[in-house]
Amino acid sequence: MDRNILKTGIINLVALLAIAVASQFVAQFSGCLTAQISVFYLTVGVLVAAVSAFQMRLANRERIEQLELSELKRSASAAALFDSTEAELYPARRAREQFDRFFVPGFALLLLILLGLAVYVSWPWTGKSLGPQIPKATITMALTALFSLILFLLGKYSAGVARLEGQRLLQPSASALLMGSVCCLLITLAEAAAWFGFPLVDRWTSRLLILILGLVALEMAVSLILEIYRPRVKGQATRLLYESRLIGLLGQPGGLITTAAQALDYQFGFKVSETWFYQFLEKALAWLILLQLGVLALSTTIVIVEPNEQALLERLGKPVAGRNVLESGLHFKWLWPIDIAYKYSTREVHTFYVGFVPDPEADKERLLLWTRPHYEQEFNLLVASRETVASSSTSPQTDQAVPVNLLAVNIPIQYQIRDLVSWAYQHSNGADLLDKIANREVVRYLVNVDIEAIMTTGRLKAADAIRERIQAQVDQNKLGVEILFVGLQSIHPPVAVAPAYEEVIGALQEKETNILGAQAYWIEKIPLAYADATNLVTRAKSDGLTKVTTAAADAGQFRNQMLAYSASPQVFRQRSYLETLVQAVRPARKYVLATTNTTEIIWLNLEDKLRTDLLDVTVPKPR
Amino acid sequence: MKRNPITLVTAGILALIFALMLFTFQVRQTEIAVVTTFGKFSRDITAPGFNWRLPWPIQRIYKFDNRIQNFEKKFEQTTTHDAINILITVYAGWRVVNPRLYLESLNGDSVKAEQTLEPLIRNAKNGVISQYRFGELISTNQADLKFDQIETNMLATVRPAASSTYGIEVAFVGIKQVGLPESITTKVFDRMKAERQTRVKQYQTDGEKAARIIRAEADSQANQIMADAKAKVIEITGNAEARASEYYKVLDQNPELANFLFQRNALEQSLKEKATLILDQQTPPFNMMGGQGAGITHSSPLK
Repeated sequence: MDRNILKTGIINLVALLAIAVASQFVAQFSGCLTAQISVFYLTVGVLVAAVSAFQMRLANRERIEQLELSELKRSASAAALFDSTEAELYPARRAREQFDRFFVPGFALLLLILLGLAVYVSWPWTGKSLGPQIPKATITMALTALFSLILFLLGKYSAGVARLEGQRLLQPSASALLMGSVCCLLITLAEAAAWFGFPLVDRWTSRLLILILGLVALEMAVSLILEIYRPRVKGQATRLLYESRLIGLLGQPGGLITTAAQALDYQFGFKVSETWFYQFLEKALAWLILLQLGVLALSTTIVIVEPNEQALLERLGKPVAGRNVLESGLHFKWLWPIDIAYKYSTREVHTFYVGFVPDPEADKERLLLWTRPHYEQEFNLLVASRETVASSSTSPQTDQAVPVNLLAVNIPIQYQIRDLVSWAYQHSNGADLLDKIANREVVRYLVNVDIEAIMTTGRLKAADAIRERIQAQVDQNKLGVEILFVGLQSIHPPVAVAPAYEEVIGALQEKETNILGAQAYWIEKIPLAYADATNLVTRAKSDGLTKVTTAAADAGQFRNQMLAYSASPQVFRQRSYLETLVQAVRPARKYVLATTNTTEIIWLNLEDKLRTDLLDVTVPKPR
Repeated sequence: MKRNPITLVTAGILALIFALMLFTFQVRQTEIAVVTTFGKFSRDITAPGFNWRLPWPIQRIYKFDNRIQNFEKKFEQTTTHDAINILITVYAGWRVVNPRLYLESLNGDSVKAEQTLEPLIRNAKNGVISQYRFGELISTNQADLKFDQIETNMLATVRPAASSTYGIEVAFVGIKQVGLPESITTKVFDRMKAERQTRVKQYQTDGEKAARIIRAEADSQANQIMADAKAKVIEITGNAEARASEYYKVLDQNPELANFLFQRNALEQSLKEKATLILDQQTPPFNMMGGQGAGITHSSPLK
């Protein structure tokens, strides 16, 4: 019998290996993501089956060794043999014990690491997969269905054998076979779903398998930890740590209760499965699950539409007459898939951007300058120019004089869905079309407007005009949208040209500075001129008045002097002369030559005396 | 053998669901469908609702989105009639109008449909754009622009082929973006900078000119004010002289005395500053030093 389970174990190993290799080819052939993840399950199954087969071989050797020793014990002539140590007597048992003690936990740890890595590496694949290739789906389905059948039959047989006394080493490979069968069935279903137009099923199935891989890894980690604290009952066989209960459960869902009971009994060391609660749960579980499924089905008859939403209700694909649009609140409908409600966020104000791609990091900046890029991407749009540039070039390929300007325009556009039926039923991607229409209208507006106008006085007018144009196009295309706001939040020359624009502003300021300087000169010059003029005139008036007054006084004095003079001309003259002389010559140096009738020559040095040295400086008196 | 009722109910429900899945299908409001029997076209379904079918693999159902689907392709360089290179992005909206033809010609694959439409649209775009001048794409003059005409012509070029060959109706074609190649963009930047430099010079010159004019006007006005003031001064001085001379007429009554007084004043004024006098004994009053009696004189320098 033992030889038979070893043989079965090896057959299981070979079957798993062959189907794993074949599944790898199928996965590459079909592009099915579920198949790729299943190959990993099968590979893990191969490893588990190989270790399980090796362990069976050790157990087999131990049994033979036990038989041989029992035979020897009965032979008295071999008494010396019993003096040997136990290790020498039971090498096969010792080898099996060493295997159980070191290799099995080590292998379980290795599996844990492999599973963890598989989850980490394979999860990102699921987002990139293009889905199964529809034309190859039929072959894939046929092959995987066959694999599933083979694995199921082998697995079911092995699981049956493993339940027999002393055959439990076959259980891990049986579980691997049955799980492999489930995986192959899932591949078939995913391919079928893709065939029927549901390619996303493949992605979700593969994600489910990866999730189960993660759970198996978690289970193994917990098992390894719990194994340390498990109470050891003498004579009780130790559990195979590399065998996953979850895999066993998924491979044989019918054994859910049994598996759970075995796990509890094993872990707590007494018969948890004999308690009343456990037995009640076992009996009522089917009802509970059915009840839950019923509740799940009933839950599809209720639709709750949120305040910002509306929903389209369809019955067997057709809009339900009279209540095809559900407003916010609670609504009842038939079971899925008879009635299906599709919710849309209609009352929410949506925003998109024309001319730039917002950069969340740059949005934190408090200063936006033309000379620095302030969005992740800014597109330069063509703007017409009134100036005409004559192209004199003979080679247009190398030198094209284009009478246009480039402008960076940042326009946020906000809209709301007003007519849900049009929005949902007219266009497969209304938001994308709206973006295209908005871009078109902005481009069309800019190619027909002068750069100076759009950057200055025409700015507000431009925003209104663009909004009206977009709304007109939206209505024409029956998008069911109202454009709420179009903002020209920023219009500026491209970053490369912005410094030149700033220079113009600088030059304008310079011009104003020059003019203001000249005006300051004027303001200073003219009043001063008025002041000088007034001064001159005033002084002239004053001088004139002085002159007239003096003349009047002189005339009066002269009349008086005439009286004195006519009284005694000689005396008057002499007196007047001497009085004047006394006053006049007072400050003058005077030399009087008193000698008369001489022939002497008198030299008078009339030069001013020069200062000879510093000692001649008159020092002021101290105060 | 006693049968579990739950098992029977569950089996019945599952069997019913399975049967419904095998023998029925729905077509949504947004869909149209084609039914094939053993690979051969059986019927197309353009109205939404519930439908019967034979199970796979006898019958297969192909469902297509019947709404307008948009796509746009590359920002591509092309040439206008006046040989100006531009970049242009065109978008298009299409929908399936003949599902059988769509299935047969494009395998019902929307990605393939867009890949197939792309060369048609590029061909139409390049062909139509080459018939128009650059000024008909970009101009401040509304009458020059031919945007609508260009789009209409592109649509007219694409639509018949798409409809007759692929079962697709191209609903619209629009120009999303117009740009210039990088080499020309650089030149436009250079021209924009040069244009700005012209303005810089203009503003600087205007400022200098205005400042000089203001200064010159200020100088002129100040000079005018001073000139007026000086004229006034002359007038005032003249008037004063005239009025003073009226008073001085009295001097004519005794010219001898007047001359004496003028001389005396002149003497007084001329000796005010630093002066040195060398006098002899003949000069009164120093003639008294020669022994002559005080107050007795025989001559006077002013005589």
